[in-house]
Amino acid sequence: MSYQFDWTPIWQNRQLIADGLLTTILLSLAGLVLALCLGLIVGTLGASRSRAGRLVAGVFVECMRNVPLLIHMYFWYMALAFLRLPPFLCAVLGLTFYSSAYVAEVVRAGIGGISRGQTQAAEASGLRPWQVRLLVIYPQALRNIAPSLASLSSQLIKDSSLASVIAVAELTYQAGSIEGQTFRTFEVYITIALLYLALVTLVTRGLMSIPGLREPPAVAKVSDV
Amino acid sequence: MFDVILANMPFLLEGLRMTLLLAVIGILGGTILGLVLAILRYRRVPVLGALAALYIETVRGIPLLVMLLICFFALPALFSYRTTAFAAASLGFSLFIASYLAEEFRSGLRAVRPGLTQAGLATGLRPGQVFRLIVLPQAIRRAIPPLFSQYVRLLKFTSVASVIGVRELTGSALLVNARDFQPVIILGCVALTYLVVCSLLSFVGRLLYARLAIRS
Repeated sequence: MSYQFDWTPIWQNRQLIADGLLTTILLSLAGLVLALCLGLIVGTLGASRSRAGRLVAGVFVECMRNVPLLIHMYFWYMALAFLRLPPFLCAVLGLTFYSSAYVAEVVRAGIGGISRGQTQAAEASGLRPWQVRLLVIYPQALRNIAPSLASLSSQLIKDSSLASVIAVAELTYQAGSIEGQTFRTFEVYITIALLYLALVTLVTRGLMSIPGLREPPAVAKVSDV
Repeated sequence: MFDVILANMPFLLEGLRMTLLLAVIGILGGTILGLVLAILRYRRVPVLGALAALYIETVRGIPLLVMLLICFFALPALFSYRTTAFAAASLGFSLFIASYLAEEFRSGLRAVRPGLTQAGLATGLRPGQVFRLIVLPQAIRRAIPPLFSQYVRLLKFTSVASVIGVRELTGSALLVNARDFQPVIILGCVALTYLVVCSLLSFVGRLLYARLAIRS
């Protein structure tokens, strides 16, 4: 091993790395919020009683998650180039549509896991359909699926690295440009790998430490008769 | 309208072949390495078990693209060897997916009821035999659905190899697009191809599951 380590270029370019990290965080945050919203809608549709609704949700999920994220990104960036969206927005949209399929499946499973008796009891007590969802179903389902959503969030942060191919100046992109200037290949990539690791660990630990989300509460089993 | 696809069909099919080849290499390499890591971690082998856990947790926190860049640029620089984009991608995919597969194997191992181990020991089998003949086969059969969803993930992830210059399906499509600039048709057809191939792989997974599943 004749490689000479030299970490000074990393420290000299700390501003670029910090900017990249900030862009990665913003990108992931925007993608996550939108993917959660879209996934909640599609997942609710997928768990609904309407057959057409389930079909639409199923087709959406299969089409979105069986196409690589890279293709999603290129599609917004190149195929829909006439929209003239900035690269950052293309990356957010790509991440949103791709990840929302995964969120939708988790949400659908979460809603499916809530006993039918809960819906029936809520309806019998005179709540409107939207109240049943908002006040009875979602709060219980959310607690049960919180661990899955946390792991989807960490997935999304890692996936955001693909935005570098459509020239969004996030962490991986900055690593490439620092590497191009300094040729400190190993140091640069190890540094950003560790930054991703730290970010992902922080987010996963942070989400799971929210009180009430850590342990799924024992849901009272009401038999469906 | 589809002229651009028809005219470049052989080139694109060659790309598809490369994508499938990368996926097969990643699946084989990742499954073998993942199984070894899972067994080391599950059986708490001294030192190696802890190293396996460290490896799994580290790689699971790193994006695939960064993993490929490390395999293509950083490792060859560090150990001063020459590599090709294809070899680096194969290595990167195997190392990357192994950490996810290891966790699926491990949860399969943990789902095997302890009573079975006790019964196996009571019939006079040695601990190693109990593990090899009773626990491991059941764990693998239980793990089939999550394993296949990781395989499908890997199949989609092979598209990232285009970034380091492997001419697989996405890479070929980008080259064709660079010459003929018809992104809607080209990307649409590529997306459809991935959709079909990934659905086929999920289907195989479901078939295997239907034959081999252990329902508790």
